[in-house]
Order: sequence, then structure tokens, then C-alpha cells
Amino acid sequence: MIYINWVVALAAILFTVGAIGVMFRRNPLIMFMASEMMWNAAALVFIAYAREFHDMNGQVMAFLIMGTAAAEVGIGLAIIVSVYHKRHRLDIDEISRMKG
Amino acid sequence: MVGIGILAVLAIAAAIGVITARQPVHSALYLVGNLLSLALLYLDLQAEFLAVAQVIVYAGAIMVLFLFVVTLLTAGKEDREPPEDLAGQRAWAGIVSIIVGIVLVALAIKYPGAELKVALPANFGNLQGIGRLLWGPDFIYLVGIAIMLLSAALGVLVLNPPKRERQIERQLAAAARAREAAAGAAVPKAESTNGKEGQGA
Repeated sequence: MIYINWVVALAAILFTVGAIGVMFRRNPLIMFMASEMMWNAAALVFIAYAREFHDMNGQVMAFLIMGTAAAEVGIGLAIIVSVYHKRHRLDIDEISRMKG
Repeated sequence: MVGIGILAVLAIAAAIGVITARQPVHSALYLVGNLLSLALLYLDLQAEFLAVAQVIVYAGAIMVLFLFVVTLLTAGKEDREPPEDLAGQRAWAGIVSIIVGIVLVALAIKYPGAELKVALPANFGNLQGIGRLLWGPDFIYLVGIAIMLLSAALGVLVLNPPKRERQIERQLAAAARAREAAAGAAVPKAESTNGKEGQGA
């Protein structure tokens, strides 16, 4: 027996922790990992409600989230690596203007 | 229920570890713990395929990519957070995000959905069920993921293009010149140290 609202509350806590990480840390790699946690919290909500409403479309959406996160990680890490090669510092303010 | 509680505590502890770890490598390892406990939670929510995909795609592929980049960029470096430029940004961010978190959790607990009492449909959450959806009514999402991943791969190639031969030759020449200069600078230095040693002896 699963109480769906507690699972959704867990997802809300994970989302908030991820948001705090994105706002507090200055290292772009750690900010990226925190945003991955936020993606995962959203996927957890989709899966919880798919279980509750007996509708597998929520699981398809979680699958979509997983694919989007994979694509996003590829692009984001490429941006971090190319910025690091130009500036040799890992600080999010280096990317604030997105200018070569 | 107890199992879910343990998994939830593990997931939250690992999440807090991700955002408080000093080194990015430790963050990545905490994130693996978070993803694995979420995968077990998915298994409990009857999402077999997604639990396995979470382990393979996230813990297997994405985290390995993260670890590659972390070791490439931060190997053996003292990694200290630079001071914040915006005054008061952290305080306001903390206040706002904690309020948002409390409101979200309160809403989630206050409005429980009515759980369906009928039995789960056949093939719920396993490979057959999700495959029938992905190759049937939800085919458009599968095509979307495929296009997105392909364009991400192209985008990575555009962002970090492979070097041309002439660039590589120029870099090799510059490196050789730097080595010669270093050798030239090192010779008189070696002589001077020899002199010092001679004096000391």
C-alpha cells in the first residue's frame, strides 16, 4: 500500500533541495547535478500519478524526461568544457554573458 | 511503507550531500546514491522499465559523463567557492526556496488523490506495456526523443569542433618553441645552482 501524497511530498523536497543547490553553489558542475535532481523529482511525480491513476502515459512522460535530461547533460557539459578551455576557471559568472 | 520511508530518507540525505559536498567528485557520488534510491522507489511504484532505464541511463551513462568531465576539469585542484558578487542573493534565495518547498510539501500532503481500488491493468509498467504505448499512440514522443538526442550530439560537435590539421601543427610548433625557451632558461639556472653547490662545498 503506497500513499501517493507522501511520494509527491518527497518529490517536492527533492525539487526544493535541487533548487537551493542551483541558487547557492557557484560551481557549474554542481549546479548541473542539482538541476538533474530537479528533473528527477518531476519524473517521480509523473510516475507516482501514473501508479495512482493506472495510466501509463505518465511513465511515457518520465521516459521523455529521461531522454531530455540526457540531451541536456551532453550540451551543458560541452558548454562547461569549452568555457573552461577559454577561461581556466570553474565559476558560473564566467558564463553569465554567453559571449565567446 | 517502511521500505519507502528508508528509501525517502536515503534520497533526501544523498540530495543534501550533493549540494553541500566541497568537491564535485563527492557530489557526483552522492548523486549516484540519490538516483539509485529513486530507481528502487520507481520499482516500488510498479515502473519496472523506468527503474531499469534509470539505472542504465542515469547511473550508467550520465554519471560516467559527469565523472569524466569532473576529473578532466578539477583533478587535483583546490576547489573553493569564490565569494558571491550579488549582495544578499544567497539570503533571499534561501528564504524564497524554503517557502516554496514548504508550500509544495503542504499541498502534496493536503490534497491526496483518491486511489483507484481496481486492480492494475495487465503489463503495467513493464517493457511490454511501455513498448506498446511508445510504438502505438505515443510514437510522437519517441520520435521527439530521437530528434532531440541527435541534435544534442550535433550541438556538442558544433560547440567543440575537432581541430584542423593546421591548428594542430601550429600548436605543436608553439609547444616546441616553449620547450626550447624553457631549456635555454634552464641551462644558466643549472649553472648557477652548480656554482652555489660549489660554494657550499
